[in-house]
Amino acid sequence: MKKLFAILVFVGLLFAMVGGLAAQDELPTLIYYFPGSPQTDVATVQEALSDYLAERIGARIELRAIDWGAFDSQIGLINAAGEEYDLAFTAPWINNYFTNVSEEYLLPLDDLIAEYAPGLWASMTPETWEAARVAGSIYAAINQQIFVKPFGPYIRQDVLDAIGMSDEFNSLTSFEDLDPLLEAVQAYVDEDPTLEYVTYGLSGLSIPEIWGYDPQDFFLAVRTDDETAQVVIWPETDEYSRAAEMIHRYYEAGYAPTDVSNWAEADAAWQAGQYAVRLVDIVKPGGNAEVEARWGVPVYSHAIAEPVLTTGGVIATLTGVSSTSQHPELAVQFLDLVNTDPVFYNLLAKGLEGTHWEWAAQDDLLIQPANGAASFGDTGYNPNTDWMFGNVFNAFYSDPTQVGAWPETAELNRNARPSPLLGFTFDRSAVETEIASISAVSAEYADPVNQGIVDPAAGIPALTEALRAAGIEAVRDEMQRQVDAWLAAQG
Amino acid sequence: MATYSQELRERKRRDTDAVLGWLARNAVHIVLLIISLLCLIPLLLIISASFTDEIALTRNGYTLIPSEFSTQAYATIFRNPTVIIGAYAITIFVTVVGTTIGVFMMSMLAYALSRPDFVLRKPLSFLVFFTMLFNGGIVPYYVLMTQYLRLQDSVAALIMPYLVVAFYVLILRTYFATIPTDLIDAARVDGAGEFRIFLSIALPLAKPAIATIALFTALNYWNDWTTALYFIRDPHLFPLQYLLYIVQSNIEAMQLQSAVGNISTGPVPTQSARMAMAVLATGPAAIFFLFFQRYLVRGVTLGAFK
Repeated sequence: MKKLFAILVFVGLLFAMVGGLAAQDELPTLIYYFPGSPQTDVATVQEALSDYLAERIGARIELRAIDWGAFDSQIGLINAAGEEYDLAFTAPWINNYFTNVSEEYLLPLDDLIAEYAPGLWASMTPETWEAARVAGSIYAAINQQIFVKPFGPYIRQDVLDAIGMSDEFNSLTSFEDLDPLLEAVQAYVDEDPTLEYVTYGLSGLSIPEIWGYDPQDFFLAVRTDDETAQVVIWPETDEYSRAAEMIHRYYEAGYAPTDVSNWAEADAAWQAGQYAVRLVDIVKPGGNAEVEARWGVPVYSHAIAEPVLTTGGVIATLTGVSSTSQHPELAVQFLDLVNTDPVFYNLLAKGLEGTHWEWAAQDDLLIQPANGAASFGDTGYNPNTDWMFGNVFNAFYSDPTQVGAWPETAELNRNARPSPLLGFTFDRSAVETEIASISAVSAEYADPVNQGIVDPAAGIPALTEALRAAGIEAVRDEMQRQVDAWLAAQG
Repeated sequence: MATYSQELRERKRRDTDAVLGWLARNAVHIVLLIISLLCLIPLLLIISASFTDEIALTRNGYTLIPSEFSTQAYATIFRNPTVIIGAYAITIFVTVVGTTIGVFMMSMLAYALSRPDFVLRKPLSFLVFFTMLFNGGIVPYYVLMTQYLRLQDSVAALIMPYLVVAFYVLILRTYFATIPTDLIDAARVDGAGEFRIFLSIALPLAKPAIATIALFTALNYWNDWTTALYFIRDPHLFPLQYLLYIVQSNIEAMQLQSAVGNISTGPVPTQSARMAMAVLATGPAAIFFLFFQRYLVRGVTLGAFK
C-alpha cells in the first residue's frame, strides 16, 4: 500500500518535472487562458503559432483553453493564487473585467499599447477605447466585433411570405408599429397546426436600448440623446409605461406562452418550429444566415432600434494582460499581432491551412473544412469563437452567406452614435447595500411586468415603490454624482 | 328475517374489518410504494427523454413513454465514446485506489491515536481535530496543490484531497479505542511487534467500522467533481461526475454568452443528448449498487450486532 502511494507521489512529481522542463525554452513562452473546449489538434496549432511568433517578436505561446463551465472558477483561483500567466480573456460577463481591475489582477496597458501595439490602437477610434477605461486606465485590449445592438424582429420566411406583409415588415420604424403585423401572424398561427404561438417571450420589449436609452445597471438608464446625461429610473419613464402596456396587451392576446421560459426553452421551441417571430433580437449583417445555420429556420429580419455605441457593447469581449506576467511587453506585442495580422489571427481562430481549412474562394476570403471533412467540427481544430481572440473583421468567412458581413459590421460600428455615457463605468462601492436590496426586487416586481403577467396600471406603481423602498434614489444620486464628475473630467 | 338481516350486518361488519385490517397491515407498504414511485419516476423520465426525438421532446415535453422513439441521442454520444469510457476509467481508478490507500492511512492514524500509551497522542489528536474546525480556505488549498505539490492535471490531484478525512479518523479512533488493552498486551507477550498487532489484531476487530468508512470514502471519490473543477484541465483526466457537470454547464455558458455577449455560438448539445449522457453516467453505477448493496448494508450494520 505504502509503495502504491509512493508511486503516486512519484508520478505526481514526474508530471511536475515534465511541466518544468517544457518551460525551460530559450525563448519566453506566453501563457494564454481563454474559455473553450480544448481542441484535439491544439498542439499543432500552438507549434505553428509559436514559430510565427518566434520570428516576429521572439516569443512562444501556450494556449490554455479551460472548459466554459470551469473557466470562471479556475481563472478566479489562478488570479487569487497569483499564478504566473500572461494573457486572459475577460469581459463583464465572464472572468469579470471590473473585478479583475479592482483586485489588480490586470495590468494598465495605456503606455504599453502606445509603445508596442500602435496598429492595435489605430484599429479603433479613441472614443471606442474609452469604453475599456476604468478609473483612468485601459486594462484590456478590445476584441473588435459588433459593438452596437441594432435590435429588431426576426420572422420566419414562410410565415411572412404567406401573410404577404414584406413591405410593412421592412418599413417598420418603431416597435409600437408591430400590432398589424402580429395580428396577421396570429391569424396565420390559428390556421397552421405546427405553429403554436406568435412569439415566445415578450420581455425583450422592455429592454431600454430599443426605446433610446443606454441602460446602466440596477434599473437606471440615460437617454442616448441627452448630452447632460441625466440618470433616470427606467420603470418611471414614459417609455417604460408604453412598453409595459404593449407587453401586457400582447400577453392578453395570447401571443406568447403564459409560462415563463428561459433562453434554452425559447431556442428549442424555435428550432422545433413552434413560433414565428423573435420579437427583439440583434439584427446584424449575416445574421439571417447565422440563424438559419444554427437552427435550420430561414428568416427575415429588420433592424428597428438605432445603433448606439455603449460601454457594455464595446467591452463585451476583451483580452487582458495579467499583472503576474513576466513579459508584459511581449504580451502586448502578441495582442498587436493577433488584432492586426490576419494570417496570425486566422491561424489561432481557424487552425492550419490544408489541415483544418482550405480555400473555397480565396478572393472572397471564404474557407471550407479541409480534406473533405463534413464540418469544421470534424477537422480537429474548431474553437468557433473568433471574437475571443481578436479583431473578427480579420476573420475568414466560413459560410458563403456570411461573405461581406465584416465590412458592413465595421461600418455599422463606425457610424453608430456614441452614448453620452460611452466610457463611463459605475463604481458601486458606496451603495452596495442598496444594490443588494434592489437586486432582490427584480424577480418579484419587475419580471411580472416585463413578461406581461400583471396589469401595468398596478404593476408599475408596485415596482417603483419597491425600488424606492430598496433605495434606488440613493443609487441614482450616487451614479449621477459620478457621471457629472466623469463628464467634467472629459471636458 | 331478523336473523338474516343480522347476519347481513354481521357479514358487512366483517368485510369492513377485513378491508381495514388489510389497510392497517399494508399501510406502511402503500406509503413506501408511493415514496419509491416518487423517487423512480424522475429516473424513468430521464431514460424516456433520452430515447425521445429532440423535436418531439420540445413539442410534447417529457413523457413516461417516449412520444417519438429515437436513439439519435445515443448515436451522437457514441460517435466519440472514448470520452465517457475514459471518464469511467478515471473515476473507477480514483475510487478504488483512493479508497484503498485512504482507508489504510486513516486506520493507521486512528489506531495510533487510540492507543493510550502513545506519547504524541494528544498533540496529534489536536492537529486532526483542529483541521475540522479551521481550514485555510480555497486559495491556499489551490496554491498548495498547484505551486508546492505541482499536482494540477494529474490523477494524484483527484486522489490526494480525500485520503485522510479528519471526521472519519475520529470515528475510527473511537472504534479502535473499544479494543481491550489486554488483548494488545497479550499479543505483545506473544512476541508481536506494533505493526503486527495493528495488522493482525486491531484491523480485523475493526472490520465493521472500516467497512463503513470505506463506503463513505468510496462515495466521496465517486461523487467528487469539485477537485477536478479546480485542478484538471486535460479532458483525458476528467472524472465522470465532472464530465457531466461540464457538459451541463458548457450549455449554460454558451447560452449566457449568446444572450449577454451579443455573440453567436456553435451548435449546442441537445436536451435528449444530455439525458442520454446522464443515463450512461449513472446507469451502470446504479446497477452496480443494486447488486452490491446487500454486502454494503451488511458491512454498515455489522457493528450493530457486536
